Amino acid sequence: MESFGSENTQDFFSLWSRIYQDSLGKLVTMPTLGPKREESEKMMKGFSTFLNFYSDLMKSNVNFQSVFMKAMGKMSEKTITETDNDNSHEKYRAFYKIWIETCSETFNEFLKSELFSSENGKLMSSYMDFQKYSKDMFEENYLKPMNLPTKTDIDEINKELYILRKTVKELAKQIKEISEKNNTAAVKPLE
Amino acid sequence: MNKLESIEFFEKFSYGMTLFSESADFSVGTTPSEIVYTEDKLKLIHYIPTVKKTHAVPILVVYALVNRYYILDLQPDKSMMKNLLDEGFDVYVIDWGYPSGIGKYLTIDDHVNGYINNAVDKIRERTGVDKITLLGVCQGGTFSIMYAALHPEKVKNLITLVAPVNFDTDKGLLHVWARKLDVDKIVDYYGIVPGDVLNSGFLLADPFRTMIDKYVDLIERIEIKPGDEESQRKNEEMIRNFLRMEKWIFDSPDQPGETLRQFVKDCYQNNLLIKNEMILNGQKINLKNITMPLLNVMAEFDHLVPNEASKPLNIAVASLDKQTLVFRTGHIGIFVGSKSQKEVCPKIAEWLRPRSVLDEAIKPKFVSDEAIKPKFVSDEAIKPKFVSDEVKTEKPSPAKPREQRRTTTQGRAQ
Repeated sequence: MESFGSENTQDFFSLWSRIYQDSLGKLVTMPTLGPKREESEKMMKGFSTFLNFYSDLMKSNVNFQSVFMKAMGKMSEKTITETDNDNSHEKYRAFYKIWIETCSETFNEFLKSELFSSENGKLMSSYMDFQKYSKDMFEENYLKPMNLPTKTDIDEINKELYILRKTVKELAKQIKEISEKNNTAAVKPLE
Repeated sequence: MNKLESIEFFEKFSYGMTLFSESADFSVGTTPSEIVYTEDKLKLIHYIPTVKKTHAVPILVVYALVNRYYILDLQPDKSMMKNLLDEGFDVYVIDWGYPSGIGKYLTIDDHVNGYINNAVDKIRERTGVDKITLLGVCQGGTFSIMYAALHPEKVKNLITLVAPVNFDTDKGLLHVWARKLDVDKIVDYYGIVPGDVLNSGFLLADPFRTMIDKYVDLIERIEIKPGDEESQRKNEEMIRNFLRMEKWIFDSPDQPGETLRQFVKDCYQNNLLIKNEMILNGQKINLKNITMPLLNVMAEFDHLVPNEASKPLNIAVASLDKQTLVFRTGHIGIFVGSKSQKEVCPKIAEWLRPRSVLDEAIKPKFVSDEAIKPKFVSDEAIKPKFVSDEVKTEKPSPAKPREQRRTTTQGRAQ
């Protein structure tokens, strides 16, 4: 895997995640008891979902920070000889050009790496898990008790509508074809 | 930066802000047109011909679901649509609209065998021709390829413009990223996936250029010449052009979830289309069913749809009359760049003109690859043999009366 200088921080987060899963993580995912067990279990699962998301987000931030530092390092190498205490406008323009080019180059190298696509895939997944959890909890704890329609309810109606609309279109097409056939048959001269 | 230069920069900046505040009134998609068919969110737009007698075979342009079709008609002097009209073609385009509600459940099959097929039938009914020319752009090109393979009897010519068909390449960032994406989680959560989610991916493909440099460049290009009306006019036009493009970039419709799910899984992750293994509504898409003339147009510096994603189409199809054109421009430049106006459109028209006739007597000459594209990079490996498929040209059906219904959308601003 490509190196972008963030391996130690990555290791730290991986270790932290493992320790969490072996300790507190076990506590929050253990079965619950009593009349409110279903709600409690869902609530506790959310804690892990959030931590997974947070951990992936931090890894992503660290990666970007490392790439930024790498770009800055490259930049200072390129500019150290060129700026030469010259404060003219053209030098600033050249400095900006070097900055944009170096950053684009370094970030593009990172963005096309296996590390980025893999970490980005994980981040999106854990973000979606967390978002879904938040939505489910909101529906469960606020909308349902207030007897308000949820997104799940609306999706069900939309699905019914989709199927109905598709069926109607298909039937309309068939009717059109049949009536066209009948019309053609009607104008045929009798033999 | 000395004091004078600092003042100059801030002067440009403040002048730019004034120009911006005065440039709110700009329009896109101004080529006169009419809506001739609607279905759910879809609108079939017909551009009013600019010549008395158009070529017999009409063109249907199918754009991607991501972003809007009006990039092909961004402004009067940068309009692929206007160029095609001026070349004497009868042009239609599909406006997919913005999905909502049931859009979540729309599949690729709904788009290809439903919407595109119905739009094609409508054009056939209006013009009285059996077959039309399909011009698919980007993802719309991929849909057009699917359509041409499933309904070859309705497609006279197929033109693909920066359209991916082989997704197994590391050249484009989207191809690399999509492999590790859990699209199920994204679609299951959003249903209709916000356009901004996809847009953030496009911006991330080149973040410093797309989010910083282009704005700095805009300020730099502003000229300050007090009292010079010509300079003032140029500045205003430049800002309006910039805003048109900016509007298009961020006018990103949300994506129908089930379509996105299948597109990512079947195309980006499993590359089924080029393997003839992709299935729509139980029907396998066999690219060998594509036997009509094919023009495959690419941009050499395309960072979203690399040439490796488009080129294999010419090998996968069974067409004998097929050609590749590669222009030295980028994914967007091919629609709106100066090359597009001066080279891309004329070359497409040059290829299409002899193939847009119904009368068997007027057979198109199958000019060689070399003759038609002196300035372009050609794909030597996939050069057509130029064995005319005109020997199998079928008789055109008798023309039906043209529909007269005209709902004007002239000056449509999205």
